[in-house]
This record gives sequence, C-alpha cells and structure tokens, in this order.
Amino acid sequence: MDDYAIGVLTNIGLVSFLALSAYLLLIAGEMSFGQQAFFGVGAYAGGILTAMYGWPLPLAAAAAMALGALAQFLLGLPTLRLKGLYFAMATLAAAEMMRILFELFHFQRLIEGETVGPDGTQGFRGIRWVFERGVEPIEYLGIVYALLALALAAFLFLERSRLGATLRGVGEDPELAAALGVDIDRLKLGVAAAAGALAALGGVLFAHHNTYIEPRNFDIMLGVHSLAYALIGGLGTALGPLLGVVLDIGALEGSRVFQGYRMIVFGGLVALLLVWRPRGLLDERTVQWVKQRFS
Amino acid sequence: MSDLAQNTLDGLFAGSSYALLALGFTLIFGVLRRVNLSFGPAIMLGCYAATWTQLNFGAGLLLLAAVAILGSVLAGAYVERLCFAPHRRGSAIAAMVASFALWMQLEELATLALPRHIYDFPPLYAGAPLEFGGLSLRVESLVMLAAAGAACALLWWILRRTRFGIAVRAVIDQPEAAQLAGISVPRTFFATFALASAIGGLAGFLISASYEQVTPMLGMWSTLKGLLAMMLGGLGSLPGAVLGGLALGLLEAHSQWFLGPQARDLIAYALLFVLLAARVPWMTTRSAS
Repeated sequence: MDDYAIGVLTNIGLVSFLALSAYLLLIAGEMSFGQQAFFGVGAYAGGILTAMYGWPLPLAAAAAMALGALAQFLLGLPTLRLKGLYFAMATLAAAEMMRILFELFHFQRLIEGETVGPDGTQGFRGIRWVFERGVEPIEYLGIVYALLALALAAFLFLERSRLGATLRGVGEDPELAAALGVDIDRLKLGVAAAAGALAALGGVLFAHHNTYIEPRNFDIMLGVHSLAYALIGGLGTALGPLLGVVLDIGALEGSRVFQGYRMIVFGGLVALLLVWRPRGLLDERTVQWVKQRFS
Repeated sequence: MSDLAQNTLDGLFAGSSYALLALGFTLIFGVLRRVNLSFGPAIMLGCYAATWTQLNFGAGLLLLAAVAILGSVLAGAYVERLCFAPHRRGSAIAAMVASFALWMQLEELATLALPRHIYDFPPLYAGAPLEFGGLSLRVESLVMLAAAGAACALLWWILRRTRFGIAVRAVIDQPEAAQLAGISVPRTFFATFALASAIGGLAGFLISASYEQVTPMLGMWSTLKGLLAMMLGGLGSLPGAVLGGLALGLLEAHSQWFLGPQARDLIAYALLFVLLAARVPWMTTRSAS
C-alpha cells in the first residue's frame, strides 16, 4: 500500500468515529450540528496530555474520552429537551463557541528548548507521540481500525440488546416511550455522554495522526459532514455511517476521477439518493430484509 | 458617547442586512417547516453570476441587481425541486441534509466559474458617507435599512392582501383543507421558495455592493447570519426576523468595539445558546406572519 492510500484509509477511519457519534444521536431522535466540538475537545486534550505532560497515548486517549463525555453530558443537561431544529441550533451555537474558545486558547510550555502547546489561531504543533515512537503509518492505521472495530462491535451489541430497542423507540416516538415508562432524560444524557466520548476518541487519533491541529479543523463543515455521512449511509445499522464516509472520502477522493468537480457530482448524487432513500442506503427496512434473508 | 452612537449606526447597517437574510429564511421555514441550508449558497451563486456579468460585460448596477436576484431565484428553484419538493411530507432531516449537499455543489460551481479568493464588486454608492455631529453614516446603510423595511412590509402585504398570500396562510394552517379548497400545496411551496430566494438575492446584491467585493465565504456567511437572526427573532415570524437581524447587528457592533472580533462571534452564539436553553417564549412560537 502506498502512503496516499494509507492516508486516505486512516482519514476514513478517523472521520468514522465522528459519523458514528452523529449516528448514535440520530437514532435517539436528536440531530446535532455540533459533534465536531467534542472531536476538537478530544484532539486538544489528548495532544496537551501527550505532548506537554508526557502521558502515554492510551492513557491520554482515555482521559480525552472522559472529558468529551463530560462535555457533552453537561451540554446535554440544558439542551436535550429541546426539539428538532432547536436542539440542532443549540449544538451549533455551542460548537462554534468552542471553536472560538480554541482560537482564544493560548497555553504553551517550554519542553526541551521548544515551546509546545495550543497557540490560538496559530494552532497546536508538535503532537508527536506516535511519530517519536516510530509507529509506522500502516501500524497506526491498524490501531485506528482496531479501535473502530471495537466501537462497531459495541454498536452491533447495542442494537441487539433491549437498550438498543428502547433507544430506537425513544427516537421514533418519545411520547409512547415515555408512556411505557422509559426515563427519556436519563437515557438521552447517557447517549450524549457516549456520543461525546466517541467523537473525542476520533479527535485524539486525528491529532496524533496529523501532529498539528488548529481551530479551523473543527468548524461547522466537519459537523454537518458527519451528520450527512450518517444519513447517507443509512440509519438502520452502525455500518451505515461508515458506508457514508467510505462513499465520500474513499470512492471520490481515492479515485481522483472527479478532481475539481467532486462536490458537484457528490452533492447532486446525495440529494438524489435522499429522494430515493430518505433514511439512507442501509435504512431500517433494508437491514430488516437482510436479516430475514440470512438468518 | 459618540463611539456608542457610531457603533449603533454601524450595527444598524449590518443588522439590516441580517434582517433581509432572515426574512428569506423565515419565509421558507414558516411555510415549509424546513431549514434550507442552501439559502446562502444560492445567494452566493446569484452574486457570482452578477460578478461574472460585470467582469465580462461591464454591466450597470441595476442590471447586476437583476442578475443577482434572478440567479438566486434559479438556484433556489433548483434546490426546492431537488431537496424540498420530494420531502414535502417526509423527513425534515433528509431535506436539510440534501440542502447541505447542494450547498457543496453550488459553492463549487461558483468557485469553478470565478476561482479567485476575492472579486471586486461595483460600489452601491461612490460618494462619501454623510457626516453629522461627528458621526458618519454610510448611504449604503440607509439603502439596506430601507430595503429590509420595504421587504418586510411587502411580504406582510402579500401575505395579508393577495390571493397568493391567502393561499400561503391557508397552506400553513391547514394543508389538507387548503388542498381540498383547490389550492395547490406544491405550487405554493415553490412560489414561496422563489419569493424567499428573490429577497435573498436582493440581500446578496446589497451586501456585495456595500462591501464592494464577493468572496467564496458569502454562502456560509449568509446561511449562518440568516439562521442566527431568524432564531433570535423567533422562527417563522416576519417582524421577528427584522428585529432579530437588527438585534444581532447591534450586539455584534458593540461587542466588537469593546471586546474584539472573536468575542463578537462568541457573544452572538452564547446569546443564542442561552435563549434556546432558557426556551424564551417568542422563540418557541411558530407563527407565520
């Protein structure tokens, strides 16, 4: 595999965490425009812990995930009762605030004669934990996909569980779910925390893959893209968001056929696809059909 | 004191451009109950078409305004056909994501035609700003404010006094009954979209001619500012859109003066967040006119 292919595949893996995070909220009936904020929280927190305090990456990743979970949990407290567009706009506002706070965030230390740390709009360079330990790009790719596989396994387990059924029930008909005795507030706060942790994990891995992050990485475009990936791929299974990411980054960027016209082609295709399948390629009905055929 | 007054004047100028954008946004939301993320990019396409016309034919301002409005309406009509007509009874999320997909498309189309980062746009008014009592007032501000007021009044008149307006209000209140009474709901949606896009095109033209430039940021800027102003004023309300736009403009001008440009955006988003979380009453009512 050449470096370019490894780069594209790694990117697909990294963005998949964010798409899964958006997907988790979507099946619980919430549309978030702000998952990029927790991706950013993970990237900054993980980068600071490894590059400035010398933490090992696994520990830093765990701490970043906890922070991402906490951040989205706290954000969820005042917002999760908002409906539809109101929730989407609240998450958008929160994420843009977070991006501006990253721009205002200056926190640097002298490490081995070099200033390291977030420097506002100048970004945060030198997140070299992975690089310094001689981890090859192909090995890092393996790490990213191993973690992604773990996340997917957790999702597939969730979908088969009672909790997963409850989650979809809340997403489809919150009144009915409440009438059946589901504690919607608690469930949604849990979902928010899990979505925040997932996005933060993607962010940590992103920061250590790029070695450089800046506030611009975490703008609204990233968030809306991840939402779009989840919807294009399909809301029937956790494989859906992955399919969405692969379709965009993989098929179009990887092939480089539509260089310069990529969004014209892709944008039109997505709009047409949604006419045909408003809940994505792998929607609930398709997943049901596949299950019946092969079980 | 004079700084405060000057900032207020500047804020009113920016605010009336936000008000115009929010009027278009809120019209679409009020009738379709859908958010059109492609609203800004459609405006951008119109303004790029006008810039292209200017570069190739050196057209006058009035013609450029017509091109910008027509371009926005055509782009808006395309968005409506592909993103909103098919999801009329279906998923609001699918319509919104589809409109985001077309955003990417329209933006790439515009930047393929005019790839530079910035293009000059002919000035709306070439003379000096008006001076009085140590304050300066740009003539463009007056035009923008007048345009926002006129657009709001015109929309109100259309909705209250014309057959089309009655049809629109009937569709908002009772879509099934309206359909039974012989009103075509799809056609009403399409016409609403075209009208909103025309207002957006006018806004885009006035903004481009006031700042005397167009950039690829225009699409995202218009969508975000329009959305923010609409939310602040209350979804689907025309006076709310104007008030929301003016409030946003004033807030930005004053916070920029006292705290700087980053704080300006931070405070605007913080206000939106707090108002949403507090569920203030005017933001949760969904009137149409």
